[in-house]
Amino acid sequence: MSLRATRRATLKGISRAAALLGMSGAAAFLVRKAEGRVVWQIDTARCINSRAGEVGVKVCDLCLKECVVTQSAVRAVNEYSQCGRCNICPAYFNVTSAVSEKGVPSEKLCPRDAISRKPIGEVDPSDPANNFYEYVIDEAKCDGCGKCVMACKEPAGLGSIRLVVRHNLCVNCNSCAISTACPKDALTQLTVPESISASSRPAHSQS
Amino acid sequence: MTRALLVLLCLLALSAPALSQAMQYERPVDTAPREKDIGGGYTTPEVQKPLPRGAWLLILDFALLGAALAASVWLTIYKRSRRAVVWLSLFSLVYFGFYREGCVCPVGSLQNVAVALTDPNYRIPILVTATFFLPLIVAALFGRAFCGGVCALGAIQEFVLIKPVRVPRRLDQALGLLKYAYLGAAIWFAIQPAASRDFLVCRFDPFVSIFRRTGFAHMYAIGAAFLIGGMFVGRPYCRYLCPYGGLLSWCARLAPRGVSITPGRELDCGLCNDACPYGAIEKMRADQAGCLYCARCYRSCPVDRKESGLIAIEEIRPA
Repeated sequence: MSLRATRRATLKGISRAAALLGMSGAAAFLVRKAEGRVVWQIDTARCINSRAGEVGVKVCDLCLKECVVTQSAVRAVNEYSQCGRCNICPAYFNVTSAVSEKGVPSEKLCPRDAISRKPIGEVDPSDPANNFYEYVIDEAKCDGCGKCVMACKEPAGLGSIRLVVRHNLCVNCNSCAISTACPKDALTQLTVPESISASSRPAHSQS
Repeated sequence: MTRALLVLLCLLALSAPALSQAMQYERPVDTAPREKDIGGGYTTPEVQKPLPRGAWLLILDFALLGAALAASVWLTIYKRSRRAVVWLSLFSLVYFGFYREGCVCPVGSLQNVAVALTDPNYRIPILVTATFFLPLIVAALFGRAFCGGVCALGAIQEFVLIKPVRVPRRLDQALGLLKYAYLGAAIWFAIQPAASRDFLVCRFDPFVSIFRRTGFAHMYAIGAAFLIGGMFVGRPYCRYLCPYGGLLSWCARLAPRGVSITPGRELDCGLCNDACPYGAIEKMRADQAGCLYCARCYRSCPVDRKESGLIAIEEIRPA
């Protein structure tokens, strides 16, 4: 009886050592290849709101509606270098609203008033229509509804505003709820070269 | 009829100026103006790119996981304090559950580990690897300490258990096999090629939508069903479905230490048998594979009351 107990204890010890060794081996393998991590990103060329040719269609707000994060992890981002700095920006103004006494549309497009507009460069106060304007999106207010993205698109705009997954907000779900719902499969996973944590800058695909 | 027509005409008349004023939009530029065209010393600003959650916060998560595991082992098998385990569960429920919104959790990470082991292009951060293996290593040494005070999914069920019903042993064992089937299915769907990959454990996570206060209707429904069932059947998800629980119970079988009903420290009276809502005490001995580290057996033990003289042991002689 005691011999059987000893044998059982030995067997248990050996199995335990084997299990711990196996786990350490698997962990070491994973740590060695862990020089990057997988993040979600939006493919601008597929997203209905930003892809060329989709004109006169309804704005897709699934990024806002489906994301499990409150106020969504998706933001509209203005790529300044490609922005036309228009006087009457179709993403800033509701261009179908009545003209105010300043000669610009009286209503803004963004339902959360997240976009700000200010004249830049050599400003001529007497001729505001001839100035360039910078449009900055407030990330705290934007919820990724996509209205401005759809408005700032050829032929009306230059398409400098796109929807981007913000990695400081994204919780990196294994099955991203937006990707499941997206009719164009615009959300794809991308391996970015970051180790442990991602302290370096995320590689957004902006092209 | 005429009045309605009149109102309609009035409305049209009122809205007409507004319509006529809506300006025809024209784009003034065909290409983005360059800095020198804008003039005035203008420089194009950097596009905002907020950084991901800081590294130290992820390290804090992992450190808290380690600390909670150590606390679970210490409070359960050394201090034998049910009250302390309840406080630990409450902390884990609030931090790992409601504050960190149930992510990263070791339960779901098993899929990512399976994918990373099989797909050469799939990488996971070191901290995810550590989060997956740490509770398993603790289980191989001390038993399922993770299930007790640490797992947020376990804690939420722990707090709804009000009237435990004993599940017949045969049925309990048969249902317990489900988690291995689920484990197999979860790994199978996870290791598919990237296009057809599916993460079952996350998709059917019963409590994550409660932690996040948002989610699909089916997830809420599954969560509610488990919580209602969990009022009578102790921690049904942990015992019958949790795929990570399956891995933990394999490791726990090998553990040299764990929750034990020791004749020297406890009174071999059998009260703990009825106190265990998880059917993990058999013949007055704890079954490491099924023990969920809740310390109810220690609370039920009258040994303290005997030592303080409140009760005495009486031999019952057969008549």
